[in-house]
Amino acid sequence: MLSAAVILPIVGAVLIFVLGRQLSWLATSERRLQRVATLAAAIPLVLLAFAWLAFEGTGGFEQVEALNWIPTLGVSYRVGIDGLSLPLASMTALIFVAATAYPVDLRGRGPSYFALMLFLEGASIGLFLALDLFLFFVFWDVSLVAMYFLIGAWGHGDARRSALKFFVYTFAGSLPLLLAILGIYLTTEPRTFDMAQIIEQQPLAGGGLYAVLVFIGFFIGFAIKTPMVPFHTWLPPAHVDAPGPVSAVLAGVLLKMGTYGFVRILMAMLPDTFAQFAFPLAVLAVIAIVYGALVALAQTNLKRLVAYTSINHMGYVILGLAVAGAAVPGQAAAQAIALTGATVEMVAHGLITGSLFLISGSLLARGSTYETDAYGGLLQRAPWLTSLTVLAAFASLGLPGLAGFVAEIQVFTGALAVYPWLAAVGLFGIIVTAALFLRMLGRVFLGGLPERWSEFRDLGRTEAFTLAALLALVVVIGVFPAWLLDVIDSFAGPFVGR
Amino acid sequence: MIVLILPLLPVAGAGVLLLLGDRPRLVGVAAVGTLLLTLAVAIAAATSEPSFGWAWSPGIQLRLELDGFGRTMSVLVPLIATPIVAYAAATEDDGRRRLLALLLAFVGAMLLLVSAADFLTLLIGWELVSFLSWTLIGHRWRDPDAVRSATQAFLTTRVGDIGLFIAAGMTFAATGSFAFAGLAGADPGAQAVIAAGVLLAAAAKSAQLPFSPWLFAAMAGPTPVSALLHSATLVAAGAYLLIRLGPDLGAVAWFLPAVATVGIATALAGAVVALVQTDAKRALAGSTSAQYGLMFIAVGAGSVAAAGAQLVAHAAFKSLLFLGAGMAIHATGSGWLGSLRLARAMPLVALLSAVGALALTAVPPLGAAWSKERILAATLQASPWLGGAVLIASLLTALYAARYQLLVFGPPDAGTRAAQPYRPGAAELASLAVLASVTLLLSAVWLPGGERFVASMTEGTLESGAAWEIAASVGLTAVAFGLVWQLFRSRRLLTFGLPDRLQAAAADWLGLPAMTHAIIVRPIESLAATLARLDDRVIDAGIRGVAWLARRVSALAAIHGEWTFDGIVRGITSLTLGTARASRTTDDLGVDAAVEAGARGVGLVGEASRRLQTGESHHYYVIIAVGLAVMLVVLIWIP
Repeated sequence: MLSAAVILPIVGAVLIFVLGRQLSWLATSERRLQRVATLAAAIPLVLLAFAWLAFEGTGGFEQVEALNWIPTLGVSYRVGIDGLSLPLASMTALIFVAATAYPVDLRGRGPSYFALMLFLEGASIGLFLALDLFLFFVFWDVSLVAMYFLIGAWGHGDARRSALKFFVYTFAGSLPLLLAILGIYLTTEPRTFDMAQIIEQQPLAGGGLYAVLVFIGFFIGFAIKTPMVPFHTWLPPAHVDAPGPVSAVLAGVLLKMGTYGFVRILMAMLPDTFAQFAFPLAVLAVIAIVYGALVALAQTNLKRLVAYTSINHMGYVILGLAVAGAAVPGQAAAQAIALTGATVEMVAHGLITGSLFLISGSLLARGSTYETDAYGGLLQRAPWLTSLTVLAAFASLGLPGLAGFVAEIQVFTGALAVYPWLAAVGLFGIIVTAALFLRMLGRVFLGGLPERWSEFRDLGRTEAFTLAALLALVVVIGVFPAWLLDVIDSFAGPFVGR
Repeated sequence: MIVLILPLLPVAGAGVLLLLGDRPRLVGVAAVGTLLLTLAVAIAAATSEPSFGWAWSPGIQLRLELDGFGRTMSVLVPLIATPIVAYAAATEDDGRRRLLALLLAFVGAMLLLVSAADFLTLLIGWELVSFLSWTLIGHRWRDPDAVRSATQAFLTTRVGDIGLFIAAGMTFAATGSFAFAGLAGADPGAQAVIAAGVLLAAAAKSAQLPFSPWLFAAMAGPTPVSALLHSATLVAAGAYLLIRLGPDLGAVAWFLPAVATVGIATALAGAVVALVQTDAKRALAGSTSAQYGLMFIAVGAGSVAAAGAQLVAHAAFKSLLFLGAGMAIHATGSGWLGSLRLARAMPLVALLSAVGALALTAVPPLGAAWSKERILAATLQASPWLGGAVLIASLLTALYAARYQLLVFGPPDAGTRAAQPYRPGAAELASLAVLASVTLLLSAVWLPGGERFVASMTEGTLESGAAWEIAASVGLTAVAFGLVWQLFRSRRLLTFGLPDRLQAAAADWLGLPAMTHAIIVRPIESLAATLARLDDRVIDAGIRGVAWLARRVSALAAIHGEWTFDGIVRGITSLTLGTARASRTTDDLGVDAAVEAGARGVGLVGEASRRLQTGESHHYYVIIAVGLAVMLVVLIWIP
């Protein structure tokens, strides 16, 4: 069933690519095409819902499906879930349904757009479900390629340059990642790419130079993807020039690949080396929190603003991970909370920032600019757009009752127990994010309505429904987080040895 | 369970309001009805001391509990909110339904806050109250000033929220749970951090120095909003937190003195600000800070019971005064204290407001006088200096309260044309009457048994004062009234003959907002702008520099080609060389070129890739397949 969640969207991609041109029923109507694509994108969501029902929370990998692939090298096709990958994969599927359904300027190349989206969905879900390092890497790289084309071909502004910068930068990151994968592979006995086995074997336990080199390889790959300051400069241009739904996928899903890698690979396979570097990582995380927030504060372009808050939020995630992976005795409860918080942040950020980028897309479609100063008083014309944006913005700045808070309070609680001073500095970020979002809301939606927007359209039905669905989940997680936290804790508790 | 229904009831009412559609009467009745029901539930809950908990996460429980002062607060909040919401329903035509729904939700959030038994639940209520006050203050969202004010209020209290985050995290680190119950058992170091966090949060929320100016910004909301925020809710949350947690944190040596110090500073400064104010609502706002300062002093002197009594009394008379001010402003269209004097235009309102002003002055036998005496007694017990400061604050309070009442509702000048008589609606008058009755009913606390009652409601102890203390404050009040009357007669009451600039500066919190702007807001903004520029130019240039370095390194590697991962290195080499070569051709060696070279290289490669992008998407898949094949070859090649 898990494999179907990976393969069916890819099959769907091929079908829609071929039939989208050949079948006149599809080729003549972009709306019909979009509906079919959305249905296809929703298949993994349904399948993962069943996986969720069957999930037991034993602490290990469940529902594993395996197939020998290159036995001589110990490469196999192997997927499965635990309390970390299940929420992330489900969130990924949801983001893709929303992004596929969301109105976008297709530039007359509907079939290719939806094919790439579906292909990217399969690859992304595959990455989160993969239990084999080789498979992980394959999905890692093909997702880059698909994203490159989505930005380059359907973006605006200097889209090709941004797409290429994204590609070259993150591809440069995937080379050290590959080296590190090979590095850890060469130390396994018997040789294997099987994640569960590597975690079991702990081939690089105890650290040492070799372990540090492997750590650095993984770190560079993941840090670029996350992105961590100072590896983040590919992010703003990629977001600004990408179409709204693609931005939503980029921020909601692709960034999580980096943070997921931190947990799944670095922390699980190199715990000793990770503990050695936990403090510098926490410092980098706090820098990202403060720096991302401050730079976002100075932005007048809505998409750049949201992009930099992503850097800030990824800082929370990394802070939580650093805290969870630190070698401190007697703080297991706090470390488990930090790890749970970081994982919730990955899910919450996907939903919240995904919504904000979709909203940016709607704004661009109506006003053809992202400059916040160009707008004003839109509440008068667009109450739905305003309400949903207010909800998303407050979720992003961590209002209790919404998902972002569930993540941040846990990350900071854990951090205050382990690195109190760093946590205190990081708290500065929550003021700045509040300031920048309130200012954005004031500029775009409140105050007087300029004459030129007197005909501004409110959200269409699809847009409103899609956003409402994503944000409803943000509210549900914010108010009743237990169902999600239970699942995550089934992995986080044993992980920190609680 | 009932303690869960308590906060949810008004929130559900808010939802119902939104469904009712645009029917002004029905909406108003529904809002007031919801609050009356809430009040009934609150009374039932307060007498039964209920508690309720649910699992928030595997390791964390959220707990609601009504005990101690929380019981009093849970009744006080809907009691004060009901007449205010009735007033709002009667007077606010612009977006009535939204305003009433938000007010109800706000009451719900406040009830959640007061029934919280752990830091996490508290933080949830605390920030929801902040958020809803943002929507309430910004109710007139078309006005950019109102939006700015709402933002300022939210951000200032958000600074205090950091304190609560720290207190919550520290409590968890030290005790393994967020519960208040574990506070006393935390180790001293953690307790000190928690105390600091609690003080920061309380001071910001209760508009104490140096956070006080946000309360002026909060005046941008409609009058009922100000009346509610300043009395039993929002601002009350800070003092409530101290009353609730003060005794637990008393073991931290500096904590109570620090609370008292913040209180004294604000009580005195706030009173001066209120005294020189020329705007009716702002005069009351300054007074709010000062009054909460008084409660801080009480907590600092170790008497949470006196602080609690003062909070209750203040909630009643301050909302009364605010609604009175709202009617004065409604009648004349201006809040400027030089142009009101409405004794003839609205005698009944003037009379009701006078009850509030007397309570503010703490004239016996009103309840507010009783709590003031207990605060004075407690402070004199703690230190004569503290007691002296309270006496000075009392004198200033009497001065500004009398001045306010005379300037707003005093007799008009003989020479000037009297304002048009104003007939307030029945709902408005009833609201004022209810609040005035509450203020008067609180006098019952002087009766025998009152002391025991207050002590039991706050779970604190009270100091009883000597007779001379009451005599001294009554004497001071009399002197103050005489002085104000003289100034009124000689028409110097508005500005006391102060130079304009001095008066303006003093009225604006002695220049504190401008100072905050200059030393905090502006530097952060320019730092943000600088970082943003840096991010665009330097850090991004850094990665281009790395590309250049990689080219050199890979060139070296190509020479010593016997490395273990030769093949892979060569792979990287060819990739970076390709990019690098492209960039070299366009490099014009200038400074700008150094920054832009990489980018242009990227542009060239982009040109090349554009050729690949023929629009025929199957080409893309060929590229993907080729890429995969290359990776496979590289991998299989490994020994």
